[in-house]
Amino acid sequence: MKTIIIFALLTFTLTAQTYKAVEVKGDVKYRSETSEKWNDLKPGSSIGIDEVISTGNNSSVKLQMRDLNFSLEENSALQVGNIKKMSMDELLLALAMEDMINVPLDNKKGTSDNTATYGTHENGKEVSSKINDDFGIKRLNGAMQLANSGLEESALLVAKETYRKYPGTKNISSYLIFFAYIFYSKGLYEEALNEFNQVKKLKLSSSEATKVETAIEEINKLLLNN
Amino acid sequence: MISSINIYCQDSFELTGYWGLPNTVTGTVLGFESNPSNFSFIKDWQFNILYGSEFSGEVNSTLYSIGISKTISAHNISVRYTPGYQKEFIQSTGETIIFNDSSSQSLSASYNYKELFGFGYSYKFSSQLNTGISLRYFNQEFNREIGTPVFGDTSNYFIRENLNEKINTWKADIGIDFNLNDKFKFKAATVNLLNFGDETQNDEFKGFELKQDLNAFIAASYLPAEQINFNLLFETSKSFQAGITGSAGNFIYGLTSFHDTYQQPFIAGVIPAFGYKNDFINVLLSGIKYFTDRKSSQDFNNFSSEGIHNIINNGYSYDKAVLSVSFVLNTLEVQKLKLIDVETVSDIYPALLNNYLSTPFAYGTVVNLTNENLEVKPSSKINGMHNEEIQSPSIIINPFDTVKVPYYTVIPENYKGDKPVLSYADFYIATSNNEPEDHIQKAILVNGINAWDGKVINLRYFINRDINFSMNYSKTVLSSYKELLDTIPAALSVFYKAKLLFNDFIKRLVYTSDPRATAEYVQFPKQTIEIKGGDCDDLSVAYCSLLESVGIQTALVDYKPDGDVRHVNVLFNTELDPNQAKFITTNDNKYFIRANNKSKDEIWIPVETTSLTDFNDAWNIGVEKFNKDAIDDLGIAKGTVEIIDVY
Repeated sequence: MKTIIIFALLTFTLTAQTYKAVEVKGDVKYRSETSEKWNDLKPGSSIGIDEVISTGNNSSVKLQMRDLNFSLEENSALQVGNIKKMSMDELLLALAMEDMINVPLDNKKGTSDNTATYGTHENGKEVSSKINDDFGIKRLNGAMQLANSGLEESALLVAKETYRKYPGTKNISSYLIFFAYIFYSKGLYEEALNEFNQVKKLKLSSSEATKVETAIEEINKLLLNN
Repeated sequence: MISSINIYCQDSFELTGYWGLPNTVTGTVLGFESNPSNFSFIKDWQFNILYGSEFSGEVNSTLYSIGISKTISAHNISVRYTPGYQKEFIQSTGETIIFNDSSSQSLSASYNYKELFGFGYSYKFSSQLNTGISLRYFNQEFNREIGTPVFGDTSNYFIRENLNEKINTWKADIGIDFNLNDKFKFKAATVNLLNFGDETQNDEFKGFELKQDLNAFIAASYLPAEQINFNLLFETSKSFQAGITGSAGNFIYGLTSFHDTYQQPFIAGVIPAFGYKNDFINVLLSGIKYFTDRKSSQDFNNFSSEGIHNIINNGYSYDKAVLSVSFVLNTLEVQKLKLIDVETVSDIYPALLNNYLSTPFAYGTVVNLTNENLEVKPSSKINGMHNEEIQSPSIIINPFDTVKVPYYTVIPENYKGDKPVLSYADFYIATSNNEPEDHIQKAILVNGINAWDGKVINLRYFINRDINFSMNYSKTVLSSYKELLDTIPAALSVFYKAKLLFNDFIKRLVYTSDPRATAEYVQFPKQTIEIKGGDCDDLSVAYCSLLESVGIQTALVDYKPDGDVRHVNVLFNTELDPNQAKFITTNDNKYFIRANNKSKDEIWIPVETTSLTDFNDAWNIGVEKFNKDAIDDLGIAKGTVEIIDVY
């Protein structure tokens, strides 16, 4: 009897980590955490939290886990595990991790002393660094949809990670403004100010410039009062 | 009639007054009187001479005493010879012998008191407490001229005869010194505790012996400041002394007044003193001034009925001046520093070569015993590891201060001991002349060369240990892929080198869990490659060493114990810009971004070194663990996962 109960709990736990694609429209693909290959997502398929879903033009997918529904719209990408409600404390911890992951600043050496090289490739051809941020934009789209679904903390983390991995996306003002406002709404004024100051360096429309200036002014006042 | 008076000490009265100052301020004059225990502060040898003069109308000079004292460890022995400690009373008996030629001779009696020599022994229990005993030898000689009638056939006449008796006696006393603190010091001693020797036989002289009433005294000193000292001594005979003493630089001074039960007036006299003292000599000029006239003849009946209690200080004593000179001879080196204790805070892990250059393995508690700043040079020597002492950085210690001194050490690169050894370490402290001042020996565990203290950060010492071997290994491997490396873009060079090295490294290895579950044991890279196996620590160390040897930046990821399971794997820096990620993977989950120390973002890759199939599998497994434990579960923020850069 004990064995049966344990088995039942285990099954529940496993299924609790899995979403079901209840509606799939157009080009929707998924990929496991470490795979290099995309697979078509079929309606009714189960999909784990480590997997990433990507949608094409005019495509979408509706995911369901028990009572929770989430729709990923066109041209978006999202790791399923990001569809989760995070606490404010968890968000702050995650933001703090960014600095902790970086190489310590007091490390005088960016690289090892040993500079031995082998072969002639150092003078060989260069890899093109042409930026292809399409997937990064999809990631940001996915993050926006998380935010619009009330999962703002999770959305902010996805956006921050995307900006690091796809630096070109930091040049798109609309996304930066969107996520800066979320920081602002969460009371994370210094983070919001950093984001707005980033935006300010970009070419902005007059309405965007006005919004950004206003936001910066308000945040500065708040920070001074605090 | 009293015709001659010399005064010498017997009970608590000293020729030089009462000196209660710390001996750093005043010196000693080997006075057995005020305290039998007060020699314990003598560090080695001391010689002492007292020479003085009495002012009885004419000046009579005499050598009062010569003393010598020697300290051995906590013991002190003192000997004093007192040729001038004597007093003689001469009485005209009133009888006169008239000779045939009508000349006459008055008959007299004499009472001579001498203290000839003494011995002292004291023992120092601690800096606060010492005690001692004194033994003094006295000689009393009584002589009386009498006219004895002789009845002849034709006439009767008198002849002069001497009635004579000598009494030799010993006197023993004990005393104790207690220094409560720097401000309050106390003494106590007996007076005439034990008296033994000859008894007076002749009724003619009975009652003239030196009085030997049993008494005791207590004394207290109060030092409100280093340069001044108030002293009070009270004897159960109801005599007392009160004094003030002090110093100004090397000069010392004092003034003692005293009340003597057996003398008038109430304050019988004062003893001023002035002197000079340094580390080698102590000169003190003191005097005794009585407040009554001592130069006129006095009634014999008083002497006959009261006697005397003190050879040098009694109702018949004259004013006097005494010069005391003490010579200090130190054949022993005076200890300036004391190493109270040493606490070893770490066992020795020989693999952690340079760790002990920056992290102390022990702390010594050191006291500066002097009144000057001292430079302390700590050094240590671990038996079986060092042939000579290893110096640690010097430290300045303030006068009389106590500090913790760190001991660092160096592990010889050729140390090969592969088994733990319970050894011992000698800890030394020295001053600027490098002569050891103190030394303590402590047991210490010297682990085997492969022992690891469990701190992942210290795995870097294992990584670096065989770096030359690793470089040769890596060179050989990469040389065999020269054509491939020549054709790939330069930016991808690091990634491919890491990949090629990993694949070559693991194809001959097998993973084995650590057979030493409790004692952490880590193989050096060469051992891992030669043994062809190891656990996660060994494999991570070896792979990091191979990468670092060709200039690839690495870090260890410490997955802290969850229950009993602890894990370590590797990150390396591809040196690729985030925009170049697509050249190594299309999956943005498989890498993460670290800003270097110039705030430039670079792509880092986690590798699970225990995955022994190929690089891609090791990468994927490393990603899964890192993403879950470090990122998704916020392990880095919560401290359950730590990234430790190797250099």
